[in-house]
Amino acid sequence: MKKLLSIALVLFICLSSIISASAFTYQHVIDYADKLASSELEELDAVAGNLENTYGIAVLFCITEGTGDVTADEFASGTYYEYTDNENGLIIVHDDWNKTYSVFVSGSAGEALTDAAVDSMTDAYDLNESYYDGIYACYELAEEYLENGYSGGYVDKTETETVFAETTGEVKEKDGVAFFWLPVSLVIGLLVGFLIINAIASKNKSVRMQENATVYTRPGSMAITGGADNFLYKNLDRTEKPKQTQKK
Amino acid sequence: MSTILEQKCPCCGGAVEFDVGVQRLKCPYCDTEFDITAMPEDTANQVEQVNWNSQGSQWGAGETDGMNVYACNSCGGEIVADSTTGATACPYCGNQVVMKGQFSGALKPDLVIPFKLDKKAAKEALKKHISTKKFVPKSFLSDNRLEEIKGVYVPHWLFTCDAVGNANYKAKKVRKWSDENYNYTETSYFDVYRSGNIGFDNIPVDGSTKMPDDLMESVEPFDLSQAVDFNTAYLAGYLADKYDVTAEDSMPRANERIRQSIDDAFKETVKGYDDVESQSVSMNVANGIYKYALYPVWLLNTSWNGEKFTFAMNGQTGKFVGNIPTDKKAVTKASLLLGAGIGAVIYGLMWLIELL
Repeated sequence: MKKLLSIALVLFICLSSIISASAFTYQHVIDYADKLASSELEELDAVAGNLENTYGIAVLFCITEGTGDVTADEFASGTYYEYTDNENGLIIVHDDWNKTYSVFVSGSAGEALTDAAVDSMTDAYDLNESYYDGIYACYELAEEYLENGYSGGYVDKTETETVFAETTGEVKEKDGVAFFWLPVSLVIGLLVGFLIINAIASKNKSVRMQENATVYTRPGSMAITGGADNFLYKNLDRTEKPKQTQKK
Repeated sequence: MSTILEQKCPCCGGAVEFDVGVQRLKCPYCDTEFDITAMPEDTANQVEQVNWNSQGSQWGAGETDGMNVYACNSCGGEIVADSTTGATACPYCGNQVVMKGQFSGALKPDLVIPFKLDKKAAKEALKKHISTKKFVPKSFLSDNRLEEIKGVYVPHWLFTCDAVGNANYKAKKVRKWSDENYNYTETSYFDVYRSGNIGFDNIPVDGSTKMPDDLMESVEPFDLSQAVDFNTAYLAGYLADKYDVTAEDSMPRANERIRQSIDDAFKETVKGYDDVESQSVSMNVANGIYKYALYPVWLLNTSWNGEKFTFAMNGQTGKFVGNIPTDKKAVTKASLLLGAGIGAVIYGLMWLIELL
């Protein structure tokens, strides 16, 4: 019995050390969903490590299945600071269960890896069937964008799409306008149409009391003899700017 | 019986009428024209005291309250008119008569604006007014019948004064800016005060309860520079009423319009704000005088589906007003069609922007 207990204890210590070692080793690719083999994790982490060494930007990718009790944005920022202390970088968290993305950007990473660039990276990830290929394509694009960004070019939407097409060989499909906007457009249209038609129809009523006697004002007779503009009080409203972007 | 007055042609004895084209009196029988001044009221017009005794049943006590009975000088027919009627036509021979007592003494108007536009112009204006409107029921266009058209001199009180006013406004300025993390909106509130004076000349207020006030105010303004001293000769051929709303009772309406004018005029001087809201206006009127005038108005009554419609035209300027029924089904249909079109365009533009 004692032997069995000691074997179990040894196994537990070994497994714990393996798990902590893997989490410690692969700082750039975090696989909470167990979608990647160790070799794949090692390879991808090496690619991300090269990026960080070359450009000074930490690009983290995390696959998870749910974010627990915290919001997706809180999860992304918490995971980022848990795995790196680089102030310039970003993390893309893919919630494989809910099929959503959340992105957290820190410091100057956003200058080269703009929203459009991150969009392209997640699109490249989606295009590939395997998790490994997806993350790899994502890092390839990140390198292109960082190189472009460091050469002085600002990566706008058009440029990111060109790079996307060159790197992945795919033309990024337009999302189009969601069907949801059709009834919204119709409601707005009906409201505007109702207002226009009723404004025209209201001209059929031409009998109304005069509001004032301005037309009977004696020319040049108006004189302002006194006046004051007294400040009473002021209100200041402050609203926070949206900082992080949640991606699907 | 009361006294009536007729404008008779000195040549043929026919009843003359005021002709808007030549702005003179004209005999419709022999086409002779006369200047208004050539026919002084006290000499050229025949004024008769008529004391016919009725052979039929007599009016009971109180039955004639609010009405006057006159006898036509031409045919002797009995003209029954309400107590405010100042000029009308004999229902038997069509002779135009003026009830002299309605415009004599203290009741004499100070001014009259003679008709510049005739019945034909009023009819054409009605046609144009209806044909240019949208969403009018088709049956209204085809079945609407003109039942009556009459030129009426409507009694008006004209108020002239110097108004001294004080007005308070609540104004606000909005300033927006943002920094790296926040958007800011600062709203500053001000209490604004203005005082001053404005002069008003001849603000008209309808002095007849028979005429709807909104209809009379809708045909404003009249050009008082073309007004002339009152002479009963101008009433020939038209209907006329004497006032039954006193100047004192008309003052509140004049004051209301003056107060709103002060508010509007002073508000114009409150500049540099994003929003200005009126809080209070007070005023005092100085040098207030009022005059009594007759304004020319063409009234046109039509009927459609058993409903009466009254239109009015300014007899001097031609301004035409009158409410026209609206085809609600047509309005709904047009709203839906236009709305669907606009909605489709909005959705299409969203696609276009997305694709570009």
